[in-house]
Amino acid sequence: MTAVLERDTTFDTRFATEPYEVAWAGEARWFVQHVGGDGTATYVTQVSPDGLTWCDLDDLGHVVEPGALVSWPATGFGHWLRLRAKVEGSVQVRIHLAVKA
Amino acid sequence: MTTSDVRAALLSADPRLSKFSPLPRILAFDEFDSGTHGWTELLGNYNGRGDLSTVDDHMRDFRPPQLSACNFFDIGTHGALSGTYALKLATRPYKGHTAVAIRRLTMSGRGLVQLETYFAFKSEATLGGGAELDNFGDVQWDGNTHPSEAQFGAFTVATDLCGDGGLRYHTVARYQNTDLDNHFTRQWMAPTVPEPTPREHFEGKVKLEYAADFTAPNPEDWHAFGEPQELCYNEVPTKVNWHYLRWLIDTDKRRNVELQVNDRVMDMRDVPVPPYEERYETLENLLNFYFSVRTHSSVRNFLFLDSVLISVDW
Repeated sequence: MTAVLERDTTFDTRFATEPYEVAWAGEARWFVQHVGGDGTATYVTQVSPDGLTWCDLDDLGHVVEPGALVSWPATGFGHWLRLRAKVEGSVQVRIHLAVKA
Repeated sequence: MTTSDVRAALLSADPRLSKFSPLPRILAFDEFDSGTHGWTELLGNYNGRGDLSTVDDHMRDFRPPQLSACNFFDIGTHGALSGTYALKLATRPYKGHTAVAIRRLTMSGRGLVQLETYFAFKSEATLGGGAELDNFGDVQWDGNTHPSEAQFGAFTVATDLCGDGGLRYHTVARYQNTDLDNHFTRQWMAPTVPEPTPREHFEGKVKLEYAADFTAPNPEDWHAFGEPQELCYNEVPTKVNWHYLRWLIDTDKRRNVELQVNDRVMDMRDVPVPPYEERYETLENLLNFYFSVRTHSSVRNFLFLDSVLISVDW
């Protein structure tokens, strides 16, 4: 399944995506595309035991420049996934989460 | 033994189907333990270049439905009625935000159409904070009632139907748990106007803001039918009790027939079904169903669907 967690949303400050349940999935991959804006953002995958409290899955920060599409896998996650992002400037973001059983 | 007897025996002997009362022809049987079965996020229309900035503000963020094991902070995995997973519609924690899942079919006939489902509705649990969070709306936590229940706004089941030369209309049934001031109403409602469309926006007739009520934006256009009905929220935000819903409409007469929710059957034949005055193209024999959930607070609202069965008499 593919979920579009942000659809051309503009951010100029830190944000996190809405919680998404992936208990059924064994594989997950993020696709983050900056479709507008001249800013840069750094993304970190987060996991949660309950969809309410979150921690980083790893210490990998994924930098996305203007106009770029960047993808990375998430492995060893629990029943929830989201991204947190640190934004410099303004970014317009399209985020797909592709998950498989 | 008649054909009808054999069919009834087969249905009653099947534990997956015997909890439903289908019309003669089953169009769809969706147990969400095995996937989303075509229930997908609704999105407004966009231009020929895929420019999503042309999507109406109030129709651009209806959120992707999730396959949920009904996981909670206090007990872990709750699970669904028919297995582990349910379809979950989840709003953002933003007053007025709506999540929508839609299923798209077409009609090969006219007549009775019935949607049945087992559903549950919950607000997201709140962790932390001060004693003021023991109060919300009409609720003071007393060990039985819980403020979470007053944080749930409304859920809706509806159709989008079109045929016979582009005549388009919706049938709608909404359970309003609380009004926009978070007071319990627990009332079934339907709108007396058709849903605003992207074409009406394109033609400059309507422009709605983000988180507007997309089914009918003016609260005064919603009217109650039946008597108030208390459902089984079950005290706290992490207990999931499944409710039965059966909704019958008639696409030959283009009107509602009745709505059953648990032990209550409501006659809907006099509930209006307003058609669009103008005809629509590219929608011939459209047979869409949607569920939505709308929060009237700054707390995420969830609608869980264990399974859906759609059947017809044609």
